[in-house]
Amino acid sequence: MNNNETTFLNMNNVNVFYDSIQALKNVSLEVAKGEFVVLIGANGAGKSTLLKSILNIQAPKGSINFKGKELTKLNTDKIVANGISIIPEGHLIFNSMSVLENLQLGAYHGKKNEQSIENILEYFPILRERKEQTAGTLSGGEQQMLSIGRGLLSDPELILVDEPSLGLAPKIVNDIFNILVKLNNIGYTILLSEQNAKKSLEIADRAYVLETGNIVMEGKADDLLNNEEIKDAYFGGNI
Amino acid sequence: MSSTLMYFLGFSMIYILMAWSIYLPYRVKHLHFLTVATMAVTSYMGGILAVNFGWSFVPTLLLSIVIGALISYLISHTIGNAPTFTVVIVGITFVFIIKTVIENTDYLGGTIGLFGIPMLDHPLIFLLVFLLVVGYFLYRIEHSRIGRAASVIFTDEDLAKSMGIKPKQIGMLFQTISGGIAGSAGVFYAFFVGSLFPDFFTFHLIGTLMTILFIGGYTTMWGVIPAALILRGIPMILPSSIASWRLLIYGVLLVAIIAIKPKGLITKNMLWKLLKKR
Amino acid sequence: MEFFIAQVLNGLSLGSIYVLLVTGFNLMLLVAKIIQFAYPQFVVISMYATWAVLRATNNVILAILVTIVVSIALNLLSEPIFRRITSIKGTDINATFVASIGLSMVLVEIMSHSFNQGFPISFSDSWVGGSVFRYGIINISRSSIFAWVGGIIVVVAFFYLLYRTMVGRSFRAIAENLYVAKLFGIPIFKTSMMSYLIAGLLGGFIALLLSMLIGTASPWLGESVALKVLAVSIVAGLGNLKGGLFVGLALGVVESFAIGYVAGSWSNVIAFVIMLIVILTKPKGLFGAAVE
Repeated sequence: MNNNETTFLNMNNVNVFYDSIQALKNVSLEVAKGEFVVLIGANGAGKSTLLKSILNIQAPKGSINFKGKELTKLNTDKIVANGISIIPEGHLIFNSMSVLENLQLGAYHGKKNEQSIENILEYFPILRERKEQTAGTLSGGEQQMLSIGRGLLSDPELILVDEPSLGLAPKIVNDIFNILVKLNNIGYTILLSEQNAKKSLEIADRAYVLETGNIVMEGKADDLLNNEEIKDAYFGGNI
Repeated sequence: MSSTLMYFLGFSMIYILMAWSIYLPYRVKHLHFLTVATMAVTSYMGGILAVNFGWSFVPTLLLSIVIGALISYLISHTIGNAPTFTVVIVGITFVFIIKTVIENTDYLGGTIGLFGIPMLDHPLIFLLVFLLVVGYFLYRIEHSRIGRAASVIFTDEDLAKSMGIKPKQIGMLFQTISGGIAGSAGVFYAFFVGSLFPDFFTFHLIGTLMTILFIGGYTTMWGVIPAALILRGIPMILPSSIASWRLLIYGVLLVAIIAIKPKGLITKNMLWKLLKKR
Repeated sequence: MEFFIAQVLNGLSLGSIYVLLVTGFNLMLLVAKIIQFAYPQFVVISMYATWAVLRATNNVILAILVTIVVSIALNLLSEPIFRRITSIKGTDINATFVASIGLSMVLVEIMSHSFNQGFPISFSDSWVGGSVFRYGIINISRSSIFAWVGGIIVVVAFFYLLYRTMVGRSFRAIAENLYVAKLFGIPIFKTSMMSYLIAGLLGGFIALLLSMLIGTASPWLGESVALKVLAVSIVAGLGNLKGGLFVGLALGVVESFAIGYVAGSWSNVIAFVIMLIVILTKPKGLFGAAVE
């Protein structure tokens, strides 16, 4: 990693509080351009909070730097406009609106032309079939595709993906992970939060391990994959 | 005692009664303005009973409490757990309807007013004793299981339901009690002022009562007491040219308190701290 | 039959006004997440502005411009107050309702102290306009036509905005789920400001149409109108824009028939009694609430 790359996303001593409970404790983390980084940890370890703090949905204390810009003082919409988008947990979309309208809203900060939406529909043919359907009537997997599709439309360089496998069938989880790998291959930087440690370490470049709001371990994904501690703590249920 | 002081204290106590009748249902987020319509009904009822049928004060008062409670009880079957705005609109609509009925009924004096209601000899003593009784009653409710259940409903109705609390029952109970208090306030008002005008029971009264409740603070029953005294007192101290802007001052204060200190001047936490210091 | 038609026509012109009012009210409820009880007061103040300009200059264009500017300005100026209130931790939408009642009290006092010595104002005949078409007792006035046509144009334009433009989609997005709208990167503050701006523009039109249709205004007009607007919104289902169209028109027609059949001030009560019955039997509204 050279210096130029480390200036992509840089979190330095970030703390997040929910009322009096501290959800993130002095978290420092880096993501280089083009990297695929995964956050692993148990439920409630603070993975989601970390992603939300980057977008200032959960107000962070400390410093979060993206391409030389300080994010902690910016509103969420400005951060999205600066090239970060989030694919939230539970594939949150606008259920009462059509698939197309969801995509149009996703493109709020992107190039608002027909072509970019056309590209997404090209990439996710199932969405083209359901274009005029209300999003709430889609299946869980289709909603996740829509969520990813609209996340790409704000022209992000960095995509934060929060627990994409939650509540989806294994076959669909594989599809989603393949999509993430492809996106990384064509140049998107990805920061993924995932409980399924083994699967995500297999596709990521690097990883951070979170426990009760602290980063307790970091390293190359391959190294962590062979780490006995990690195997014991996180691979138990889903080898 | 000067008559100015007497009127000040008497009105303040009637307003405290009315503010309590709005305070209690607000413990479960109901802005129950039906009480203002109730006050109009019982004040006219009391006036008619006294003028045309020679009823004396005490039986009229007792009847008005029953009638007031009954009105609120009947309506509470449908709005006992309705959303805040539904309760609000039902209340204000009733105020408007009752006012129109009074204005168009010659028997009640129409827009000219109803006169000649015998005034009480010692209104302040009656009012004070009654206020103490109502205050004690409210205090007991506050510090009972029902009061605590109401606090849970206020912060999280779903949580309350999961704890086995029945919001509708408590809403109905509070609305009924509040109706009884408002009923009594109507008769006190009639026998204190001696004449009634439909114009008294309007948005002005609703606005004034809301200002008293929110300036004083809705988290304890004590806030409305100083708030009623101060807000009734301000226009008396000011020169009349400024005092005629009384409602404007109330309005500004109401907006300001919600924007700056939404829980009002006197809050539960503050009272706790005071008690601990001693 | 003629009488029936006459009442329906009158009712539809009054109903158009209610439709526009409840649309502006619902817009701020859905997007800015406030109960703006003082919104109709802003309309009445704008009517006072129309009156004042007409009296001073008799310049119709200027009067129209000033009315719209005043209405937009009032709505935009109220935004920081409501933003401040909604940003306080632990407060809910009730707080905005209470504050807007306070605001309403302030405006009523200003109007009753500062304009025409508190007496109701009336608009000149040339502003109100005369009859355009007469057949027996069916009398179509110029102001009625303005109310119908204006109402239709504004409603169509509003729904076009809502469903065919980015701003409209953002309105609906925030109305459906504020949190998801944030995740999408939709600018909440800017969109909320747009809802005040559009409600203000709408309020300006309403003021113009209403001043022509009823020809008078008083400091207390806003109170009864505010009550009706809140009632219409609840009867339709709080925040239900399409339901508001129907119930707004229905209220106008009901009132018109009440005026036609019932004497004097009793007529005003009929509509309230009907709405009260609906609310008591269907507290969530006829078409379902869009909020809470």
